[in-house]
Amino acid sequence: MKVCIKEDRCQGHARCVYFAPDVFEIDDEGYSSVNVDHEDVPAELQAGVRKAAANCPELAIEISE
Amino acid sequence: MTKIEETARNFDFHGEALDNVFEDYAKLRSGCPVGRSEKYGGFWFITKSEDIFAAEQNHETFGVAPSMMFPPVCDRPLPPIDVDQPEHTAYRRILLPLFTPKELKKMEQPIRQAAQEQAAMFMAKGSGADASYGYARPVPLQIFSALAGFPEEDWSKFDQWMDDILYERIENPEKSEKATAAVFAYFDNLLEEWVDDPESNTLIDYLCRAEIDGKRLTHDELLRYCYLIFLAGLDTTAWAIRAGIWHLARTPEDQQKLRDNPDLIPMACEEFLRCLSPVQAMARTCLKDTEVRGQKINEGERVLLVFGAGNRDEDVFPNPDKIDIEREENRHLGFGGGIHRCLGSNLGRRELVVGIEEFLNVVPEFTLADPDQKWHGVGPLNLNF
Repeated sequence: MKVCIKEDRCQGHARCVYFAPDVFEIDDEGYSSVNVDHEDVPAELQAGVRKAAANCPELAIEISE
Repeated sequence: MTKIEETARNFDFHGEALDNVFEDYAKLRSGCPVGRSEKYGGFWFITKSEDIFAAEQNHETFGVAPSMMFPPVCDRPLPPIDVDQPEHTAYRRILLPLFTPKELKKMEQPIRQAAQEQAAMFMAKGSGADASYGYARPVPLQIFSALAGFPEEDWSKFDQWMDDILYERIENPEKSEKATAAVFAYFDNLLEEWVDDPESNTLIDYLCRAEIDGKRLTHDELLRYCYLIFLAGLDTTAWAIRAGIWHLARTPEDQQKLRDNPDLIPMACEEFLRCLSPVQAMARTCLKDTEVRGQKINEGERVLLVFGAGNRDEDVFPNPDKIDIEREENRHLGFGGGIHRCLGSNLGRRELVVGIEEFLNVVPEFTLADPDQKWHGVGPLNLNF
């Protein structure tokens, strides 16, 4: 599974770090990015990433498998 | 006139209209998803989640000036919510760094302490006490006022100002205007007395120190910004906490479930935000002629994004009118979205979660003392326990 955040889509709701805190990181203004070590999502973190994508109000999280 | 045309023409989302508004939403989503109400001088409304989302993403077509709140609470533009791009971003960035998850972690202790103190005081009043004035309102009052830098000796004046501004503005506009004038006068004085203390880092400090293009905000800009945070930081959170308690008071099985599994509380709070949100709709202004779901809307016309209707859209949420505290996929619009996403959403969400946690920790099994008390607003919510 690969995950990325669509450019300029994130508006800082921070739902992704709630569901997958190891995969997403929040910058000093509250915008999210994918932790570079986890762009290829390890199996044990995939369920959290799916929840993050399903709960992102901006539909900003893109998953490819 | 057909029934649905009548529902559309009379559509309203303030005051008593909120009593049965979820039925109106369901009718409109299926029969007139984009339509026109004749209330408040006339406005278009959008009720489907997908259409609301598209409008929020398209700020070049859907601007916010002259006012996002509808009808407006005040005839002066409130930064950042009533300001369009490009000025909007600069206003918003002043406070954005203060509401990140990292900053919120630092506030965890004061948030919890406020909730614990208020819950203990509420309990001391005994069964029958009002959980709105006795809990849902003072929790954010204490947390947000301290963060914002509103002096504690003034807090007791805030509830009345807020009630007059927000809840009298339709029926009693003069009362509302008078309270708005009082709040402006209050901040006028507070800003005049402001001194730059490097040890102090309240929202007011950040606003007063901020520069846009190398210039500080004018006194008038600061006033309007302060008025906005005053309204935005107190009433909405109080409503959300009250609504959550209202649901738990009339749904003993959910109350018990959260007592048995407090880990479910954050998920339950998302459901309260989806179904019982303090912000049912916000306005946009068409900056060019456009079309939504086949309906033409002309440049200059006011359009209401009815988040409350979108949040119960059957195309996005299975069994949408059921408050399901274990709903796993909850992409609701309780805080809006796009560039105008509620700036304080992370704080508001945390206050709600901690507010419900501590209430359940301290108050034993509770029910509504008056089953007719409304789901909406910040009015009384008496509980038997």
